Amino acid sequence: MFGKVMTWGALMLATSLTPVWAQDDKAVTIVLNEEVDVMEPCMATRSNIGRVILGNVNETLTELDVRGDQGLMPRLAESWEQMEDGSWRFNLRQGVTFSDGSTFDAQDVKHSFDRVFDPTITCESARYFGGMTVTATVVDDRTIDFVVDPVQPILPLLVSLITIVPAETPVEFVREPVGTGPYAVTEWSPGQQIVLTRRDDYWGEAPEVSQATYVVRTDPAVRAAMVEAGEADIAPTISQDDATNPATDFPYLNSETVYFRLDASQAPVSDLRVRQALNMAIDREAFIGTLVPQDALLATAIYPPTTQGWNADVPVPAYDPEGARALLEEARADGVAVDTPITIMARTANFPNVTEVMEAIQQMLQEAGFTVELQMVEVAEHEVYYSKPYPTDRGAYIIAAMHDNRMGDPSFSAYFKYHSEGRQSGIADPKVDDLITRASAATGEERNQLWSELQAYVHDELSADVLLFHMVGFARVAERIDWTPTIATNSQLQLSEIGFKQ
Amino acid sequence: MLTFIRKRSVASLVSLVGLIVLVFFLSRLTGDPTDLYLPIDATDEMRAQFRDIYGLDDPLIVQFGRYVGDLVQLDFGESIRKARPAIDVVLEAFVWTLQLALITMALVTVAAVVVGSLAAFRVGGFFDRVSGIVSLVAASAPDFWIAIVAIVVFAVGLGWLPTSGTGTVWHWILPIAVLFIRPFGLIVQVVRGSMISTLSSAYVKTARAKGVRTRSIIFVHALRNAMLPVITVIGDQAASLLNGAVVIETIFGFPGVGKLMIDSILQRDFTVVLASIIVTALAIFVMNLLIDLAYAALDPRIRN
Repeated sequence: MFGKVMTWGALMLATSLTPVWAQDDKAVTIVLNEEVDVMEPCMATRSNIGRVILGNVNETLTELDVRGDQGLMPRLAESWEQMEDGSWRFNLRQGVTFSDGSTFDAQDVKHSFDRVFDPTITCESARYFGGMTVTATVVDDRTIDFVVDPVQPILPLLVSLITIVPAETPVEFVREPVGTGPYAVTEWSPGQQIVLTRRDDYWGEAPEVSQATYVVRTDPAVRAAMVEAGEADIAPTISQDDATNPATDFPYLNSETVYFRLDASQAPVSDLRVRQALNMAIDREAFIGTLVPQDALLATAIYPPTTQGWNADVPVPAYDPEGARALLEEARADGVAVDTPITIMARTANFPNVTEVMEAIQQMLQEAGFTVELQMVEVAEHEVYYSKPYPTDRGAYIIAAMHDNRMGDPSFSAYFKYHSEGRQSGIADPKVDDLITRASAATGEERNQLWSELQAYVHDELSADVLLFHMVGFARVAERIDWTPTIATNSQLQLSEIGFKQ
Repeated sequence: MLTFIRKRSVASLVSLVGLIVLVFFLSRLTGDPTDLYLPIDATDEMRAQFRDIYGLDDPLIVQFGRYVGDLVQLDFGESIRKARPAIDVVLEAFVWTLQLALITMALVTVAAVVVGSLAAFRVGGFFDRVSGIVSLVAASAPDFWIAIVAIVVFAVGLGWLPTSGTGTVWHWILPIAVLFIRPFGLIVQVVRGSMISTLSSAYVKTARAKGVRTRSIIFVHALRNAMLPVITVIGDQAASLLNGAVVIETIFGFPGVGKLMIDSILQRDFTVVLASIIVTALAIFVMNLLIDLAYAALDPRIRN
């Protein structure tokens, strides 16, 4: 009896001692920073979910090329065209199957879109279609038409945000996503790990990675340590302090832009000279490589330089405290209440060193003659100041915020931030409204031209806000892995882009 | 004894009801989950639709009535974030916390009682001084720092143990070791103090005079009396572990209830906050009952 117990005990111990991190050569482990709370395809635009399923489990009709310069590329759609009435026709790929074995056709696309806009569930992807009505009509198995009211010139870009699920998917959140992607979910133990395994029947080229295990560690030092110890292959976000090894740690523009939103309806910021003085009083260069990572860029738009219609001629406001002081004096002489105390509202833990950055800016503004206070607040209170209706009883304030546009088109920022109806807009300028409306409706070169014009007008003429930095993130990648982070790494991590060096 | 248990149960039920009412209304004071769940550029229709789906538009008292109505049918509600029943999410996490707490407290109790008793036997001796310094350092060391240092040394540097996570026996060693340190330091001090006063009592002197072996005097005769205050401290420490070792769970990626509770508070996932509080409160109630029974077992005066 005793012998039996000992044998069983030894066997169980031996099994439990086999390290979980021992895996085959082409399997990778990715350590994420945020818990994946739901694995619902229609929530894939949320970064924690998108990084696991977008492009891996669930695919979209089109996708934006973030590595090359190809713009919008076909994925589940082979081609698309705009019809004379402004609607869009998409020709779908054939020979595609879902991971449950069913065949992909136009009905699946229609159901996926209907599901996203269904009022009984809250799908995050729907937010990109605010103010639009989208009607999908199946023409035949491989053709689908979209009528969008009002007409959407960038619909092919917008559909890159809608993941395709089988027509049988219920209109409620699912726990086992089924998609057409190169991987299928084979295990999900909430709080522990998610495992994706490569499908043999994928329509496209088979990726190198055979299996991906996702684990979550909220502490950045632990994420970095896991890659260093060989327990993980990729940590998409580690802290700047841990990014010390040039062989494994890579900075990347993370599509976030830090700026001050100014409310131009409020004195003294309502005066153009005061807004210009705010811009001139901040020594942006001084932050780079000190409080803000070396690879961050000085911002001249609220979206990153990889966005369509980028205007490279818009200059970074020159640091000129004397000039700022002179402008303030000029405004004072005209009766503008430039001595009104202005509070900088900033969000705690918004980005690394946020408090120190804000304190330094406070001091720079004070040196230029502003009366400035600083208040660091939690996310919920920040939202009270950031979005309309703005509080009117809390004195003059400027709000520090970070805006993310990873979509490659200014329309995802311009309306919200600059249109007079925009939820976080601080200006109401008819020319801006007109440019946004026209640019949103235009296509091709005309569209780029209009966005470019808007960028210059808003910053050179209006000084609508104080743009600071295009931020960077840091990723740690094991030396055996051939992969570099891109501007899209914040929102997705396609396993098919991962290779092996040996 | 049954009357005692019944009385305690009623008292605990009253405090549980009070706790639920308090947490329900206080958590709602922190704001509307809509703002945190939906992205900042979500449309107004999406916001309205979200509030409608989760009944966030109704007056608080109506929401409370609905919650209580469901609760009496043991329906703890749906987690907004995880789109699953809140109680499933909580129980899943609580199992991890319970294992972590039980193993740690068992190890702590044995180690602290042995070290504390031996230290008390020769007050001011070498062992007493060393254990005094060690336990003081242990009781006051910041656990987040120890955790990171332990990972850097044992996982990254020496490669003996995995950095974090779950899966094998090895994964449990670092979290338990780090969790062990603080209650160990504290309980050693309490055992030592309690033991010193017991060892100077008349019946111990009598035992010595009769020539009873030292080991028996300490671990049989004195320990039983010295344990009464120690059990109180053990109960207190165990209760804080049952509430979740937030720092340890966060650093080591342990899916326990402490981290779940903090995340749910930050995300305003109210049903999960309430379910976690109810589950941990019940666990602490059961533990307190066990401690009372342990008192009774050790001390016949209490039993009667």
